[in-house]
Amino acid sequence: MRRLPDLGGRNEKTVARTLIAPGQLLMAFIILFPASIAIYIGFTSWSPTTGQDFWHAYNFWHWFDGYWEALTTQGFWVALGRTVWITAVAVGVEFLLGFALALLLLKTFRGRGLVTVFFLLPMMVVPAVSGFIFFMIFQLDGPLNEALSVLAPGNIQLEWLQDADIAIWSVITVDIWQWTPLMFLIFLSGLAALPEDQINQARILGASWLDQMRYLVFPMLKPIILIALIIRAIEAFKIFDAIALLTAGGPGEATTNVSIYIFDETFQAVRWGYASSVAILILIFVSVLGFWAIRPIEQAQEETLEELTGAELPPPTAAEQRVEEAIEAEARV
Amino acid sequence: MTTLEAPVETRAGTFTPPPASRRPRWLKPSGRVFAIALLGLLFAFPLYWTVTMSFKPRPEWNPPGKVFWWPDNPTVENYTSLLGLKSEEGSVFATQRSRSALGPLKNSLIAASAGTALALIIGVFTAYGIARFRAGGRALPFQILQLRMFPPIAVIIPLLFMFIEIKIWNTLLGLIVLYGAVTFPFVVWLLRSFFQEVPREISEAAIVDGCTQWGAFFKAVLPQVKGGLAATALFVFVLNWSDFLIAKIMTQDDGITAPVYLQSLQGGASGNEYGLQAALAMLLILPPAIFGLAIQRYLVRGLTFGAIKR
Repeated sequence: MRRLPDLGGRNEKTVARTLIAPGQLLMAFIILFPASIAIYIGFTSWSPTTGQDFWHAYNFWHWFDGYWEALTTQGFWVALGRTVWITAVAVGVEFLLGFALALLLLKTFRGRGLVTVFFLLPMMVVPAVSGFIFFMIFQLDGPLNEALSVLAPGNIQLEWLQDADIAIWSVITVDIWQWTPLMFLIFLSGLAALPEDQINQARILGASWLDQMRYLVFPMLKPIILIALIIRAIEAFKIFDAIALLTAGGPGEATTNVSIYIFDETFQAVRWGYASSVAILILIFVSVLGFWAIRPIEQAQEETLEELTGAELPPPTAAEQRVEEAIEAEARV
Repeated sequence: MTTLEAPVETRAGTFTPPPASRRPRWLKPSGRVFAIALLGLLFAFPLYWTVTMSFKPRPEWNPPGKVFWWPDNPTVENYTSLLGLKSEEGSVFATQRSRSALGPLKNSLIAASAGTALALIIGVFTAYGIARFRAGGRALPFQILQLRMFPPIAVIIPLLFMFIEIKIWNTLLGLIVLYGAVTFPFVVWLLRSFFQEVPREISEAAIVDGCTQWGAFFKAVLPQVKGGLAATALFVFVLNWSDFLIAKIMTQDDGITAPVYLQSLQGGASGNEYGLQAALAMLLILPPAIFGLAIQRYLVRGLTFGAIKR
């Protein structure tokens, strides 16, 4: 008797499990394993300078002293606060600039394609390279000070990278230059997809530009705006490359964010136990934030998923079950 | 948005549209051109400066008190000297720099390509499992996404001990494994969004025609997402190519990649090697710029993990 084709059932579960197995192994390798080592080392004051390898780190066990140090000394909190500040300012400005750019370039004109490409380029620059590019520009004798001297009276010699109060703005500038294009690209496609009729109607009925934005454009773009802000915030929180090439966290610690802080504790101070405690604290912090931040993305995904595949699969019908039973029965014979 | 300006005859009488709603000055035609030009100048300048710097001879790099807005004596020496084709005669630099950029560039290329291949091979199965069978339930994709949120520095230190222990520290293999793992979430999310666009009837039809689940996947579904696979591959390559942190921690000496080499040229005994660095920067920018523009349509989708489709 001819076998009925297997459209699902038990086989499907095995296939599904086999499909995701390698990926899950990889995830375990990249996150579970290092995280458990970090937890272990984080309870000790071990570092390679102690002359013992990390299996023997328990000789330096000190429970929560590392965590206590991080939570009670200034270094960690200042770095965390600075990271939040850099993230908030950079992403805020990127949002405003990107949105403005999208509005500016929404209507077609001759050469629009080329101009758009120009605005997209910074996003494709290797982040370490953008750190270097601005390192050139922010030099004392560099082009920025020269240009400012032409525009403003007097010989301007701002210490973009050496002055602790200015340096943080230099770091923020790099991020804005590099990532405004992403916001711009997202909003450009978002704006282009808005229903023109409604906006035209509102305009004919006398809605001012501001009202059109406030009551039509923003509400319709809200999900996209939310996702763009979250994705950018996640990335801005982690900045390392650009700072490493621009200021290396200096002058002093004026541009040290959490990534640079952990790096310095590991490789300058060589306090691996402490660095691990800080890393765990950051992982907890990010996980808590992440749980809340991922929801809008989840929603967007679920919506498209429902559009594409329909709702959940219906349970097997009685007929399908009978077919399965028949196959099973045959397999036993 | 088309504008309606002239009065319109309607059955109810003449309708005169209100004057074009007042837009902010920067959105009116003249202001608009000015704003675009100004922003364009600001955004293009850093790249302009890098391009011109890469063609400037040493005396024009960053002399005190003078700025060369344009290379007065353009030269390709930065490129040739960077790649070790010709040594810069009489320069301190010739002795100071122990290796050309060729090795690091090669390392970058191999590690980024192989890392991309690894992430793709593993990711394509996970993505299909999630998109087609909802494998791992609803939570799995978000667990994978959360990996992206962790600052890499927070997990890389333990990996450093581990890599030293199993002797793959400062090897291409080590870099490849890490690159594959780090970009894996992107692959899963991107490909998942492509797989979701393939109707499940396609795989079901293949199964009815006698394929196994695997046959259906390889012969029927995979060809449907060819474009998506290519876009994902280029996107992930650009991410790997852009890495600095992992290579900085996981490699040294001859094992370093190009971005780490770029940093090593900074602040040496003879000062900053701006021209050479700019030349290297150009070589580093080129592949992502080309690939990025080639997959422009998918950039937003890639960088938002498939949440925004257009």
